[in-house]
Amino acid sequence: MTMEEARGAVGDYSVGWHDPEHSTIRFDSGLSEEVVRKISEIKNEPAWMTEIRVKAYHHFTKRDMPGFGDRAALEGIKFDEVCYYLRSSDATEKDWDDVPDDIRNTFDRLGIPEAEQKWLSGVTAQYESEAVYHSIREDLEAQGVLFLDMDSGLKQYPDIVKKYFCSVIPYQDNKFSALNTAVWSGGSFIYVPKGVKVEMPVQAYFRINAKNMGQFERTLIIADEGSSIHYVEGCTAPTYSTDSLHSAVVELVALDGAHIRYSTIQNWSANVYNLVTKRGIAHRDASIEWIDGNIGSKLTMKYPSVILKGEGAHAEVISIAYAGKGQHQDAGAKVHHLASNTTSKILSKSISKDGGRGSYRGMVTVASKAENCKLNVVCDALILDDQSQTDTYPTMEVANASARCEHEASVSKVSDDQVFYLMSRGHSEEEALAMIVNGFFEPFTRELPMEYAVELNKLMALEMEGSIG
Amino acid sequence: MDNQVEAYLSLDDPPKSDHLWRYTSWQRAHPTGDSGSIPSDVSIPNLKLRDINGEDVEGVTLDFGQKLPIPFDGSPTSDAFMKAITHGKAILMTIPDNWNSDVPLVLEITTGKGIEAAHIHIKTGRHSEVTILTRIEGDCAWLGLLRTAETGVGSTLHDVVVNKIRHGSLLRVDSFKAGRDSTITAGTVSAGSKQTKADIRYMLDSTGANLKVLGSLLAAERMHLDHHIEIRHVAPNTYSRLNWHTACSGRSTSVGTGMLKIDKGAKLADAGQLFHNLLLSEKAKANSIPELEVEENDVVGCGHGTANGPVDESQRFYLMARGLSEKESEDALVAAFLNSTLSQMGSELVHAWLIKTVEDALDGLKQS
Repeated sequence: MTMEEARGAVGDYSVGWHDPEHSTIRFDSGLSEEVVRKISEIKNEPAWMTEIRVKAYHHFTKRDMPGFGDRAALEGIKFDEVCYYLRSSDATEKDWDDVPDDIRNTFDRLGIPEAEQKWLSGVTAQYESEAVYHSIREDLEAQGVLFLDMDSGLKQYPDIVKKYFCSVIPYQDNKFSALNTAVWSGGSFIYVPKGVKVEMPVQAYFRINAKNMGQFERTLIIADEGSSIHYVEGCTAPTYSTDSLHSAVVELVALDGAHIRYSTIQNWSANVYNLVTKRGIAHRDASIEWIDGNIGSKLTMKYPSVILKGEGAHAEVISIAYAGKGQHQDAGAKVHHLASNTTSKILSKSISKDGGRGSYRGMVTVASKAENCKLNVVCDALILDDQSQTDTYPTMEVANASARCEHEASVSKVSDDQVFYLMSRGHSEEEALAMIVNGFFEPFTRELPMEYAVELNKLMALEMEGSIG
Repeated sequence: MDNQVEAYLSLDDPPKSDHLWRYTSWQRAHPTGDSGSIPSDVSIPNLKLRDINGEDVEGVTLDFGQKLPIPFDGSPTSDAFMKAITHGKAILMTIPDNWNSDVPLVLEITTGKGIEAAHIHIKTGRHSEVTILTRIEGDCAWLGLLRTAETGVGSTLHDVVVNKIRHGSLLRVDSFKAGRDSTITAGTVSAGSKQTKADIRYMLDSTGANLKVLGSLLAAERMHLDHHIEIRHVAPNTYSRLNWHTACSGRSTSVGTGMLKIDKGAKLADAGQLFHNLLLSEKAKANSIPELEVEENDVVGCGHGTANGPVDESQRFYLMARGLSEKESEDALVAAFLNSTLSQMGSELVHAWLIKTVEDALDGLKQS
């Protein structure tokens, strides 16, 4: 693909436009117990949820910032200037035509309805704090698959939500999980019944439109015994001069023999703090896969985790990060082997360019009673210029002698030989570089649905523009 | 109160979130556990310098009571504490310019029974070549050893530290600065002390500096061995390799944390780190954190790796098929695992001396 084609297809941060703000409810900036209670009241939530929110809020106020990562950038978050709740539409619609015009136009421009028709089993579209559109294929609904926005999930299936909410990620986990638990709004709730295999992916699309907005979606996916599901999420936001905060919590529960794949393409604009906690629990012979792409944001701190609780469980995390000008992608993975015969694989690839910083931060542990575990971690980094930086911070804690654990990391630049080879076949230097970068990310893109993979290749080609000279 | 003591006492304890103190807190590494104090009854261990044949060494001098700074900043806590506990006084070992000998030197450090500490500074002259085998033995409760070094232009230093303290704790702080076109081979052989906390740092800030760091460690019974190795490439055309082998048995814990830092401007740096842990018992633990920070894009290559695992069953089977018992096969494989780094620490003479020195520890490992 030439640069012109890439630009034509994607444009300069093509999703960086914003619509006029359209809100039915907008809270004043700042956080207090009153704000937390008010969110719960508006949503007409059960008392137990209000109680968890308030406890989480008090924990958030007392909890220190993480003691690792880009502490200076974290200290730059102005919690008092964030709007914690903004509702743009009074209802979650099932028909695109019923979604308010300006919001529908936004999702049309992002290509969501078109994708739904072609290759998805269901879609949730979240705009600011609330889901504005939601649909699921009728045949899946008939099989008992629940795919709702989280607020509707809580209303319609409170017992399931109560059982699993905060069971994988307690609010005390970290400062941002406490914040999310206090002010969460929107996100997806999925329950796949025993033995049901959802063949086509379901998708959620998260869009921040307003300035200084905080988006705190909460996603809970439960795959019952022997079931499987692939969930895909995409994220974008407009480019503003002030910062927005995205702090999601995602909890996955894969019961015996279930399989969950969770794919993310995060392409936030460069003014968004993306501080997300994602964790899954895999029971006996279950499998959880995180496919995680981090292209945008100002600072991303995200370490998708899997707790291998049941014997024979498997975890896989494949992630890429692109750190451009002014960006710090602090991403990685965590896997805890608590049971015997569990296996895991982590593959992380990052590119730093134009002064960006890509960091891999990971942890794998093997518990003393977990026999015959196998794990493999590979991190590769490319630095494309002399202003950029890359770091690797892996931790491996092994307390069982039968475990076989491997970790390897490498940092390199683009080889002159590869560029020369491609140029000798008629490509410009810039195109050659873009092809090499796409090849570097190939183990990730091949795991994505095709439409996502094509879009990602276009994005990367565009990011490589101006790399030479 | 002298300035060093005052400087230490003005510091806060480092937090456990600090990479260096994550697995062994500063309170635990401190001789009394009361990190807000400096013990008063500290003595200097007995030092003796001979060559490997037990003969006097000509040309190399040991000067006590020297006031010498630490060549570059390391951990503020351990640097300040070691300066305070040694009252800023060092033992200077000087290797003159062009001094060259095939016969390794042995520096015996013999401790008493209490709290002991020393600062040893090694200065190698231009184009000199020397092998220094430092053997630490004794019954001390706690030994603090600050080792600093500056290597001369074009010099070669083979530096091996063998820890055979019987029961006590060792706090080892190393700051080695490599001169232009100099070579350092640094070996650590640990077969003693109930607890070791080591903060080992190398600075490659002169062009052409070359460093090889090797570890061969036996952790048995309830030993806690925590080694942090930091290698910083500042100048262009610098090279480093780290290869760290630890065998863990009994209820021991081994921690190997590495930091490989490539500063901006360290063009054509070539660096690699490998940590290998062999776990020999159900209760043994091994933690590895090989970290990497790279600010320069024009590098030959930077990488790290770590591998943990049990004794290879197919190798054990091969040896048993040739008549060895299961235990003998395992012992042979553990010895081979440790020997793969031990054999790179110096000449054949050094290797033979090291094998002889740690033989009894290997026997101890077999019994634990």
